[in-house]
Amino acid sequence: MRGALLPAQLAAITSTRTGSLAIFIVRRILWMVPILFFVILITFSLMHLAPGSPWDKEGGRQLSDTVVNNLNIRYGLNKPVTQQFFLYISSVIHFDFGLSYQYQNKTVSGLLLESWPYTATIGVLAFLLIIPVGVSLGVLAALRQNTRIDYITMGFATVAASFPNFVIGALMVVVFGVLSYKATGGNFYLPTAGFALDDHLIMPVLTLALLPIAYTARLTRASTLEAIRQDFVRTAWAKGLPERLVVIRHVLKNSLIPVVTTLGPTFAFLVTGSVIVETVFSIPGIGRAFVVAIESRDYPMILGTTVLFSLVIAVANLVVDVAYVFIDPRVRLT
Amino acid sequence: MHLGFRLRAITLATAGVFLAACGGGTTTSANLAPAAQQILRANNGIEPNSFDPTQQTYTYERAVGIQTFDSLFRAKADSSDVEALGATSYDVSSDGLTYTFHLRQGVKWSDGKPVTASDWVYGWKHFLNPALAAGYVDPFFDGTIKGAGNYGTVDVASASAVDAYLNGLGLSAPDDKTFVVKLDHPAAYFKWVATLWMAVPLRKDVIEAAAGGPFASTDATKAEAWANNAATIIGQGPYKIKEIASKDHVTLVPNPNYWAAAPHLQEITYYEISDGNTAFSQYQTGALDMIGVPLADVTVVRSDPKLSKEAKLIPTLSQYWISYNSTRAPLDDPKVRMALSKSIDRDKLVNDIEHGNGKSLATFIPKGMNGYDTSDNAQSFDPAAAKKLLADSGKTAQLSKMKLITRNSTASKTLNQFLSDQWSTNLGVTIALDVIDSKTVTRNIRKGQFDIYGLDGWISDYPDQQDWYDIFVTGSCHNLNWGCVSNPAYDDLVTKADAESDKTKRAQEYSQAQKLLNDNAVVGFMYQPYEYDLVKPYVQGLTVTTTDDQNLPGDGRYNQAYITQH
Repeated sequence: MRGALLPAQLAAITSTRTGSLAIFIVRRILWMVPILFFVILITFSLMHLAPGSPWDKEGGRQLSDTVVNNLNIRYGLNKPVTQQFFLYISSVIHFDFGLSYQYQNKTVSGLLLESWPYTATIGVLAFLLIIPVGVSLGVLAALRQNTRIDYITMGFATVAASFPNFVIGALMVVVFGVLSYKATGGNFYLPTAGFALDDHLIMPVLTLALLPIAYTARLTRASTLEAIRQDFVRTAWAKGLPERLVVIRHVLKNSLIPVVTTLGPTFAFLVTGSVIVETVFSIPGIGRAFVVAIESRDYPMILGTTVLFSLVIAVANLVVDVAYVFIDPRVRLT
Repeated sequence: MHLGFRLRAITLATAGVFLAACGGGTTTSANLAPAAQQILRANNGIEPNSFDPTQQTYTYERAVGIQTFDSLFRAKADSSDVEALGATSYDVSSDGLTYTFHLRQGVKWSDGKPVTASDWVYGWKHFLNPALAAGYVDPFFDGTIKGAGNYGTVDVASASAVDAYLNGLGLSAPDDKTFVVKLDHPAAYFKWVATLWMAVPLRKDVIEAAAGGPFASTDATKAEAWANNAATIIGQGPYKIKEIASKDHVTLVPNPNYWAAAPHLQEITYYEISDGNTAFSQYQTGALDMIGVPLADVTVVRSDPKLSKEAKLIPTLSQYWISYNSTRAPLDDPKVRMALSKSIDRDKLVNDIEHGNGKSLATFIPKGMNGYDTSDNAQSFDPAAAKKLLADSGKTAQLSKMKLITRNSTASKTLNQFLSDQWSTNLGVTIALDVIDSKTVTRNIRKGQFDIYGLDGWISDYPDQQDWYDIFVTGSCHNLNWGCVSNPAYDDLVTKADAESDKTKRAQEYSQAQKLLNDNAVVGFMYQPYEYDLVKPYVQGLTVTTTDDQNLPGDGRYNQAYITQH
């Protein structure tokens, strides 16, 4: 039968667990439309309120008024701002994010597609590192609370969380790059800049992952400590289960809930790029492109990147919410 | 001015471009690295915004432009005159209004097609198309080329208006080997304009094919479609683009159809590493052969026994100055401006702030150019004289209300704090810093909303004085002439000298104009910056000139450079 569902059928679907999940997802996706609209509105307003024009130069001779005027016409900046806004919205609906001002004749979508894979590769690798390393360190510290292992692990986490990543990045470059190169006559060292699917990835991924690893470790430790004091864990011990089973089957499943909550935003944070990591290691990623776009008032590029980031964050949060359903049986999505 | 009595027919050396290089011009073949190692890896800092030379305005764009396209001429290595490149000679009509460029015979594009005079006409029209709004168009062309003066009034939304403008330009190709440019008024410097990186020929067929067919002259998107793809960037320069790895590097390989002897360097890779420290570590780990030393690492390099030997300190044709807003009292008083100018210890500025990368210079024209003359010591550091000048003016109290507009960056704050300290120590006047975000500073100085702005400056486009003096003519107010000092006597001298064909007279007129700038303290001249670069010892045959890119010493003549065994 085609057409609209009968109320009874609808009720039947929503009453099942998968049905309510599907409706939840659809509703959340629909919610993204007004969210994106307001993200664009706010970004657009801030961008035009910020001082400076895309045609300003940092120093020296500026473009003449004639050239500026012709550039404004070329890029439609001579139209009233409200008209520019609605023109932009209508082109976004057609998946056209416009031309970059800074890079002549390159489309914003083209520029994003060009730079995002670099950022995403490093972000995903860092993320894959965070879960096993961060969670294991946290669990280990909790199970061996107030022992030397706990102190070493948490000491590491505290240090890693306190050092800004430009310091860590620069330190790694000096130690594993320049000094290693000098000490071994160029035979053993890590490349200090650029992107390639080889040892070029080691330092950027580590620099990016260190802080989230530290956070994840501390969070996991805290939630694990809470979980192992629960009655059901005591019961599991009392039943004589081996430590491995108690930890994996009973403790972890509960202690991971707060960790999963943070993993969504962490993932979004990692794959939207770090300006510092991308600058220190000269990676042509999206984080640096975003900052350069802001500095040079490349309006379409700023908007395009913001829209992409908002989407990534919204999707990551949605995935986390859905993941709850499978991790925590108490959660019902409505 | 009277130009009419002389016919100039200058034939430039056609084959004599192989100059004695700074690093030794002759190659010992035994020492030469094999072809596979003839690769130069340099840091160009930032990705060019466009690979179309006519659209390029920044040095990092020009760096690629001059490798892929030849202009009519280039500056000689010693900057004394122009020498042949796309053209081998030129004639000037007796009235100074018609330049006839005789193009080099047998020159081919990188795809093997012959370069014709109509390609030059097409390229220059592309550059002057107001709908494309090329950034560097106005300082050179709009008042010079016949018909170009209407540039600002063309309706860029109307293809017929743009076409009418372009067809009315004084550019023509009477035959395949002759490119004729008619001027609106005599311009003795026009041979230098012909050296500019954006004044190149372009291929109509290639541009139209990339655009998917003929297009309206107002369609900027189609007109530039060719410039994003290495395959359609067909030039006639010594190198061609092999690969564009966006925001990472550009790879250049020899143009097999170039008219001169094949180069040694089989590949030039320009990396786009924006962070100076990252580039420095890449140099130290052998991943780069050539970098500009970041200011923070200058002392490290100077004290390192190995690196200091690889360093080159190269004068640039540039000068920095302090701008005074002459429309605000008391800065409208030349005495006050002079007192401020005379109370800065420029040697200390160069040593303490610039780590020695420069030379104090209290006059306008930098060393290495005609017109460099330090005999006028009107602005030279002299605290006693400065104090006396200020006391005579009776405006000390007023001056202490002035502020030094400062960009919110470490470099700008450090520098301006130094200036403020100097005025406090040497002149006894407190001038506070007004720190604002950089974009607002640019907007404010453009609108004349500032008291004192330090430092701004100029890098030569070509080593002719005309390129400098028009900065301070009345009409250029609010565009680098931020302080808007206006002097009809100065304007007169510059207009005369720009058109003057007699070298001696021209030099005298510019010299008088320079004296007016110095003596009225139109701005406070500070120092000529030097470039501090590192070059690996195995990079040889570089001809380092003052017109090279700042971080790419010798880039004007890379086709003579080579890599030795290492």
